[in-house]
Amino acid sequence: MIEINNVSFSYDGKKVLDKVQLSLDEKHCYAIIGPNGGGKTTFLQLLMGFLTPESGSISINNKSPVEFRNSIGYVPQTPSFDKLFPLTVEQLVLMGALSELSPFGFWPKKVKEKAKKALETVGLIHKAKEPIGELSGGQIQRAYIARAIMNHPKILLLDEPTASLDPDVVKEMIALLKKLKNDMMILIVSHDLESVMNIADFVICVQNQVSLMDVHDVCHHFSLGVYHQLRGKK
Amino acid sequence: MNPFLQMALFASLAASIANGVIGSYIVVKRIVFISGSIAHAVIGGIGLFAFMQSYFDWPWCTPFLGAMIFAIFSGFLIGWIHLHHKQREDTVIAAIWSFGMSMGVIFLSMTPTNQSEIISFLFGNILWASLNDIYALLALDAIILLLVLPLHRRFLAICFDEKQAYLQKQPVQFYYFLLLTLVSITVVLLIQVIGAILVIAMLSLPAAIANIFTKKLSRMILLSSIFSALFSLIGMFISFELDWPPGATISLTATVAYLLSLTLKQTSYTIPVKLTGGSECTRLSEQEASSTESHKTP
Repeated sequence: MIEINNVSFSYDGKKVLDKVQLSLDEKHCYAIIGPNGGGKTTFLQLLMGFLTPESGSISINNKSPVEFRNSIGYVPQTPSFDKLFPLTVEQLVLMGALSELSPFGFWPKKVKEKAKKALETVGLIHKAKEPIGELSGGQIQRAYIARAIMNHPKILLLDEPTASLDPDVVKEMIALLKKLKNDMMILIVSHDLESVMNIADFVICVQNQVSLMDVHDVCHHFSLGVYHQLRGKK
Repeated sequence: MNPFLQMALFASLAASIANGVIGSYIVVKRIVFISGSIAHAVIGGIGLFAFMQSYFDWPWCTPFLGAMIFAIFSGFLIGWIHLHHKQREDTVIAAIWSFGMSMGVIFLSMTPTNQSEIISFLFGNILWASLNDIYALLALDAIILLLVLPLHRRFLAICFDEKQAYLQKQPVQFYYFLLLTLVSITVVLLIQVIGAILVIAMLSLPAAIANIFTKKLSRMILLSSIFSALFSLIGMFISFELDWPPGATISLTATVAYLLSLTLKQTSYTIPVKLTGGSECTRLSEQEASSTESHKTP
């Protein structure tokens, strides 16, 4: 489904990704790991078409990332916003279907229904009318996931979804992602290997170059101490 | 009623609608300083056009036209820099701010013109509001409402998260430039009321106060318009009674109201802790913890 051919990318002359060659299947969940500055977030930005490869090409379902954008759900890294921003949880989730807003600026009934379902999926329906500034860290992440999935994307990209969350909230988050895994392809950027290993089928190691490993192989590496090395880098 | 006061009253009420709507977007999008930069760049336009009017004897070359051209141009320049060169945005805003002020001061010093007109552009004089000023403000209100009603949710989306709007193939750049154009036009027309130096206080403070009392943008816009009208009326009354400059008095009224509302907010936040003790303390600490957690920058 995602074909990445010889993709390279540099920031100010410094190569971040070098001749990346990768083929990803839509039925699987992928954990993207690697050291800070290794190119994980750049990798996601390229998939969403916010960055253009210096060389090489990316195709998603035979379309360019920009053409495919509407079918991508994105949950940003530790969403940060003004706590006083006048926005309810429901309004935040509805923003996941901006292209369906009527010319006169009204939300069609079916879009409101989709938002309601997304909020039910993430367990936040009881918070729909509350201001987003009053949510806890875990609830904010779930609200962003609801926004990302409300339009039934084919790919869900999550950038560090478990960062700075309590262990119990992380467990809830992983349980939620397991539920979503059956409906869409998921790519999670994470430092928290232990948690994402519970849902990932494959691990993509990004450090200028990219290698794809079966999750079982990575588990094998754990015993060799690579896991602790990565934890140390975190 | 004094006819000057009557006209000033109508002008301030007409200005309040534009002020409430555009001010709310300025506050939630956090472009208060961009608006400040536009307001001060306008002084360059006022100075240049006043100089050309007097030097070349071009009657059409009015300070108002200069203000409008400079406001829209500086708005577009800042918008372009925001969208394409974010890392230097604050420096460029400061550069445009000081460039406008410097040009204004230099050209105004070379212009042997009616200084009282220039002073009213800088510090405002609502008591001089003419019928044409009121018509211009009402026309601006109509344009703003006609554009904002259908675009409100799209503006809200780009104010909150531009990236998400891009992901959904929304014309983010178009909406952003449209918003900045509306800000520029509003700034120029409000200059008639409060003056270029103080316009930013009137655009941001009523909306910031409204934001303390509501967490819904539509209600914030309504409240902000009401506060704006209220501060203008109170300010005008005080200025009339004490013979103070009206623009500065209106701005001072808004500032005092903002400081009072912040104190009120702080009081309403701490009182429940004292009254209910431990459980409420715990609830507030949890909120603070989650607030700190979610405020980390990505």
